[in-house]
Amino acid sequence: MDDPVADLIARCAAADRAAFRSLYHTTSMKLMGVLLRMLGERAEAEDALQEVYTRVWLRAGRYDPAKGRGMTWLIAVARNLAIDRLRARPQPSGDAEIETVADTAPRAEARLVAQGDARRVTECFETLEPDRAQAVRGAYLDGLSYLQLADRHGVPLNTMRTWLRRSLLKLRECLDQ
Amino acid sequence: MTDLPLSVNDADDLLAAEYVLGVLDLPERAAVDARLKRDPDFAARVVAWETRLEGLNDGYAEAPAPDLLPRIEARLFPTPSPPPTRSLPLLRWLSGMAFGAVLVILTLATLGPPSMLPVVVLATADNRLAYEVASMGDSLRITRIAGVPAVAGQVHELWVIAPDAAPVSLGLLEEDPLIVGYPTPPAGWVMAVSIEPEGGSPTGLPTGPVILTALVGG
Repeated sequence: MDDPVADLIARCAAADRAAFRSLYHTTSMKLMGVLLRMLGERAEAEDALQEVYTRVWLRAGRYDPAKGRGMTWLIAVARNLAIDRLRARPQPSGDAEIETVADTAPRAEARLVAQGDARRVTECFETLEPDRAQAVRGAYLDGLSYLQLADRHGVPLNTMRTWLRRSLLKLRECLDQ
Repeated sequence: MTDLPLSVNDADDLLAAEYVLGVLDLPERAAVDARLKRDPDFAARVVAWETRLEGLNDGYAEAPAPDLLPRIEARLFPTPSPPPTRSLPLLRWLSGMAFGAVLVILTLATLGPPSMLPVVVLATADNRLAYEVASMGDSLRITRIAGVPAVAGQVHELWVIAPDAAPVSLGLLEEDPLIVGYPTPPAGWVMAVSIEPEGGSPTGLPTGPVILTALVGG
């Protein structure tokens, strides 16, 4: 399958600096979008973006195009860094921050265009109860922890854990069909 | 609500899913990061979940990104620069380092492959723990020449620090020598080793105590 991003990553693994520049220019807006949404602050997102591309260069050799698309791998590198930074932060004290995040979730759903993988995911999410689908999306897109999800949905932590696990098993069944 | 009765397979698969979703806490994530390195089956589960959920990535809108390439490239591809002016004690120390480096070069010239050039030795004052950093041109090889790896649950992590820049991780120092695609850092840069949780620093910056540092000297 044609995957120009995967080709650029493979060339980075061969220490091709021109490919690294092309990779940055073609993918940094998407990764900036990921980091900005998850970390919330522009300065921190920019700092994280530098770290992400540093990791991409150093780890390019570990990317296997047979196992997934280039962009999916890049976003995984960015999300993992953002999640680690979020989890390293002190837990938010009030509900204000969580409410703000909650407000953006429906818009995110609206942005899920009904095409290809996105349509498939959307269809499978529709098999879940709406609040549980929202919890899974909030975890993925905004990097919410179990604790924040439990707070947002007003359920005990263990209930949230069970909700999410049941939802993930259902999603796996639907997506693997 | 009670927890789900799970098969071992499902339990592993759910852990992989929770990791990809990002809901685990920091110690749990560090444990998964460590497992990913030694358990290819589990790593494949994580990749499978990344692929299952990739449709959600459309939910991330693009955002204008400043051109940070010059800063990223300055961290990754250091160019040799004249040694910065330093205070007298540091200069004296630097010349000592250079002398030491010459001795090692001479030794390696007779014993080792000619392509290996010593960059720096990171050692405690009593030399009970020491790592040697050598350059193989476009990569660095880091070998423990004294002492033992970090205790179980922890790991030694290697950092390179450009003047006035944040540390960049070069990798984890475990049983075997570490080889990382990175050029020889120029004079005036610092290399350091910190103690981090298993799997390495979760934040991309040193979180544990820095136990070894060395200035790369001309």
